[in-house]
Amino acid sequence: MPVLYALIVATLFPFALGPEDALLQRIAGGVVLVTVLLAMLLALDAMFRSDIEDGSLEQLVLAPQPLALMLGMKILAHWFTTALPLIVIAPLLAGMLHLPVQVMGVLMLALLLATPMLSLLGAVLVALTAGTRRSGMLLALMLLPLCVPVVIFAAGAVAAAQQGLPWVAPIAWLGAALVLALVLAPLACAAALRIALDA
Amino acid sequence: MTSAHAIPLLQARGLSFLRADEPVFGPLDFTLHPGELALVEGDNGSGKTTLLRQLAGLLHVDEGELQWRGQPWNRDACAGEVLFLGHQLGLKMDMSPRENLHIAAGLHGARDGRDAASVLAEVGLAGYEDEPVRRLSAGQKKRAALARLLLLPAVLWLLDEPYANLDRAGIALVNRLLEAHVAGRGAALVTSHGAVSFHGGEPKRIRMHD
Amino acid sequence: MSKWIPLWLHKLGSPPIFYRFAGTLRPWFLALALIAGAIGLYGGLVLAPADYQQGDAYRIIFIHVPSAWMGLFIYGVMAVASFIALVWRIKLAEAVAMESAPIGAAFTFITLVTGSLWGKPMWGTWWTWDARLTSELVLLFLYLGVIGLYHAFEDRRQGARAAAFLAIIGIINVPIVHFSVNWWNTLHQGSTVRILGPSKISMDMLWPLLTMMVATKLYYVASLFGRVRADLLELEGGKDWVRRIATGEQATGEQA
Repeated sequence: MPVLYALIVATLFPFALGPEDALLQRIAGGVVLVTVLLAMLLALDAMFRSDIEDGSLEQLVLAPQPLALMLGMKILAHWFTTALPLIVIAPLLAGMLHLPVQVMGVLMLALLLATPMLSLLGAVLVALTAGTRRSGMLLALMLLPLCVPVVIFAAGAVAAAQQGLPWVAPIAWLGAALVLALVLAPLACAAALRIALDA
Repeated sequence: MTSAHAIPLLQARGLSFLRADEPVFGPLDFTLHPGELALVEGDNGSGKTTLLRQLAGLLHVDEGELQWRGQPWNRDACAGEVLFLGHQLGLKMDMSPRENLHIAAGLHGARDGRDAASVLAEVGLAGYEDEPVRRLSAGQKKRAALARLLLLPAVLWLLDEPYANLDRAGIALVNRLLEAHVAGRGAALVTSHGAVSFHGGEPKRIRMHD
Repeated sequence: MSKWIPLWLHKLGSPPIFYRFAGTLRPWFLALALIAGAIGLYGGLVLAPADYQQGDAYRIIFIHVPSAWMGLFIYGVMAVASFIALVWRIKLAEAVAMESAPIGAAFTFITLVTGSLWGKPMWGTWWTWDARLTSELVLLFLYLGVIGLYHAFEDRRQGARAAAFLAIIGIINVPIVHFSVNWWNTLHQGSTVRILGPSKISMDMLWPLLTMMVATKLYYVASLFGRVRADLLELEGGKDWVRRIATGEQATGEQA
């Protein structure tokens, strides 16, 4: 589903902006990143939804295992099922928007670092809304401030590569942030879940 | 059966739960020793489910005191020793009872000499081991959840309405499980609206309100 | 509870005592805020000389800059109160954190509006993706997220705890956003307009600005006290002290 959504959004851009190669080429990197982000947001809401409904999240919380570790695994599984397919079709989307082939590698690298960040940050917020029913719009509102830096650095790297400038710095920043998020986000997610379920 | 001097498994003093500062129940005082069964009695909305969720560690305790084996209750001390079975059964609908049990055993560990197939046969789900839970009837789903009680090595069972959705044989099954558990020095807290016929000594009764 | 918390502070944490304490102080804070605000505005709008570059348009800073400071300051207060609320489960801290959020959001909104009003004569556009304005916009979203999450829960205290957690995540995020937006701005070679610039601000302009800053702080405290009082009445609805206040007010109402 997220893949189809991303495909639709990316297809709409040329219709809205006109099919000139130069224009599309300039915005391609940003459009692909934002499209992937929105598609992930679409799937984020469902991360714990079914587990809450059938009560298996309660069993997970009560199990004698570190909750953060189990949630980390859940986040990983979520990333595999939603973000990885998006990364796979990203070159297709970028190609439709005439992103230069040399930049493609940087785009993929940026996506590989940015999407786990979004999954991890998103999981914390989804956990916070676990006790509520309407959460789709709220989730977007809460995620926006958190993903601004991610988008800036990921798109910055792609833009820099496109202009022939060094792009390693923003990628390195993304990588550093990802390492930090990998360690902290599951812990924060567990704490948030306990608060939202009132444990 | 139990000596009065033995350390109780679970002890509550003045336990209550507040939601928006309105007491949902309590204050409650009770003790539960290993080998004891307690029935939680009360009308709809009297807080039976809330009490069980609190004892399981899903809700916080802010008034009153709760002790586990003589020590102040904490999550890590009783993790793995408590098994909670609520209204939501905690079964993955797309997986089979066998796979669901594998997940549970993976999280909690299994009792010695028990495996998924034998406990599923014991709760009357022989032949349905590999059917997706989605396709089972409500009573069969309940039985699949009850199979967890047999497989996992928990001391304290917290069962919320274990008789709901079950036929007469199913009710007898729950009673049989409880009797065996209590005989094996396990303890259980059970909520139920209806009169429960329990053949194994008179159970304790916890009244939610006087 | 730790021993280093003085006893009176401990007592102040109890809702009925805070209710009375805030009720007594609130009119004073409000009056002082209005007086300081009037002096500050008079000083800023009338007494201070026109800027040699910007003319009279710069005078909006007497609203814009104090609001911007307050937007950040209140976020800090909210995060600290949130931390206290999460760690010690103090009801008053929850109320302070959650009632700060709308006030902070309002100040941030004022900052954005005045910023864009100022931008029109200065930069010739209502909105520019200037680093500060963008950070301010993100700050507004952080506030809205906290408010939204608080109201999404049926149980208010649970909502307060969840939103408090979000506020703490947000305060970690604020410097990251600021840094990344700055970097982004230089990357895209946008027009980096220095608002206050390195130029020395003259005393005639500085004192009204500082007076306005004091006025907004006082107003925040007064407003917070009022909101927290109302919040406590609602949260503690079933308690005796609230019942006494309600019946007391009824009695005086009947007399009058």
